[in-house]
Amino acid sequence: MNDETIPAKPLPKMTPGAEHYWHSATREQFVLPHCTACDKVFFYPRVWCPQCLGQDLDWVHASGHGVVYSFSVVHQAPFPAYRGDVPYVLAVIELAEGPRMMANVLHCDPATVRVGMPVEVTFEDRGEIKIPQFQPVHS
Amino acid sequence: MVDAVAIAAVSEMKPARYPDKDGHALYIEVVRQLLAEWHLKPGDIQGLLACPAGMAGGGNADIFVHEQLYEELGIHPLYGDTMNAGGATYGYMVQRAALAIRQGLADSVLCIGAGKFPKVSTGGAEMMARMVSHEAFEFPYGTFIPAIYAQVATRHMHEFGTTAEQFAEVAVSSREWALRNPQAATYGTEPLTVAKVRASRPIATPFHLYDCSIPLEGGAAILVANASVAKRIARQPAWLLGMGEYHSHRNIHQAADLMDIGCGRAGRMAYERAGLGPGDMQFAQIYDAFSVNPLVFMEELGLCARGKGGAFFASGATRPGGDFPVNTYGGLLSFGHTGDASGLSMIVEGARQVMGIAGDRQLPRADIGVVHSYGGMMSEHSTLILGRQS
Repeated sequence: MNDETIPAKPLPKMTPGAEHYWHSATREQFVLPHCTACDKVFFYPRVWCPQCLGQDLDWVHASGHGVVYSFSVVHQAPFPAYRGDVPYVLAVIELAEGPRMMANVLHCDPATVRVGMPVEVTFEDRGEIKIPQFQPVHS
Repeated sequence: MVDAVAIAAVSEMKPARYPDKDGHALYIEVVRQLLAEWHLKPGDIQGLLACPAGMAGGGNADIFVHEQLYEELGIHPLYGDTMNAGGATYGYMVQRAALAIRQGLADSVLCIGAGKFPKVSTGGAEMMARMVSHEAFEFPYGTFIPAIYAQVATRHMHEFGTTAEQFAEVAVSSREWALRNPQAATYGTEPLTVAKVRASRPIATPFHLYDCSIPLEGGAAILVANASVAKRIARQPAWLLGMGEYHSHRNIHQAADLMDIGCGRAGRMAYERAGLGPGDMQFAQIYDAFSVNPLVFMEELGLCARGKGGAFFASGATRPGGDFPVNTYGGLLSFGHTGDASGLSMIVEGARQVMGIAGDRQLPRADIGVVHSYGGMMSEHSTLILGRQS
């Protein structure tokens, strides 16, 4: 497949309360929203805390560590931007801090990905911004 | 039961591609067929709930469809709405209709839907992925509906040792039923085998092509009524004995527990309200966008032991002649998935079995059965318990 025929991958839409998350990722910092009222870290970023509905939020630097909670190896590209990527791993990552998030597991053979596999954050350049991704922990 | 409510009439188009029919034309065909089969009169329809057809088709869905339909029918409903909850739409319509009828707002409510399904290979997959995944925290990771469902399948394999072959058994069971249903899209085709499912094109692990429902178009109608109307229209109404509703999440990564995704919670409410338990059920009709759903939801609904859904399907119990028939019309896997209208098919079949009008596939024991549907990415759930005695 000629790379020139493959369109760019989608950028995340900027949603209310999430701007700092993406600005940090673009600087290769992985942060999570934290509620100062109930002292909980949560995902995804939004303008209130989904546990107590408090609006007094700040940000914590996350460890960037987690495990694969579940995943699928995608063999049929859902749209043209992913034609060059199949097979790729669409996963739900359970972060060391507790919350789960969606990501791809990069920089490995998709056939080696397992539930419970330790992963660490990495950042994928999408042009204007970088997005958090995960890769196996190489110890 | 006080204030008994029943499904009094059902009708469904054969799932197919209908390139010459838009959503409105499909709706008209559904209504025409319903009226012809059940000889309904204007007074038989006192309420009307409909769902926009063609929602995944590029923004031409009619969000006032119920107005168009009651006008064309020449009726003035006492209760009506256009509503959407994806695949759970019609389970919720039946639940809303029952509440309205018990409240005395109307003697009967027509719950109706028609659906288009965009071609997956020419933009449909992207359009639908955008519809069902978070625009910031999911879609940029290349979401794909089969891969979203696969998160539940992979986790189930991890926790309980379920195999890809056991998911394939669900597709095999559904095809056995579809071969007995002339209205199924795969009627007249060959039986499936686990080997055939596994040899079909890989889509997203653990799913191959035949683990996925068949994208088609069509529609159906369900008339929910109070006892006097139901007994006049149907020889054997399908009484609504219990109902449950539970909304879990929208985006799959936000599900609190992929192994407790909301199905069981809706199911337990339905059993409790019916004064019945899973052991009283004689069959199940379970929404099956992918082969994973019936396997996992049998467990969530208490119809087989936790972690044993794979063995249950592999045992043959769910097939024709088995001890606990599941998706006796072929399921969305082999009957066909009619897009916006897909959540009607399992309710129509559950009602037909209880009403005793399921033709060659009529079950010998269909006194009480459970119908489960869900919308979104297993996001919101509806359970109905139907029975022959109110």
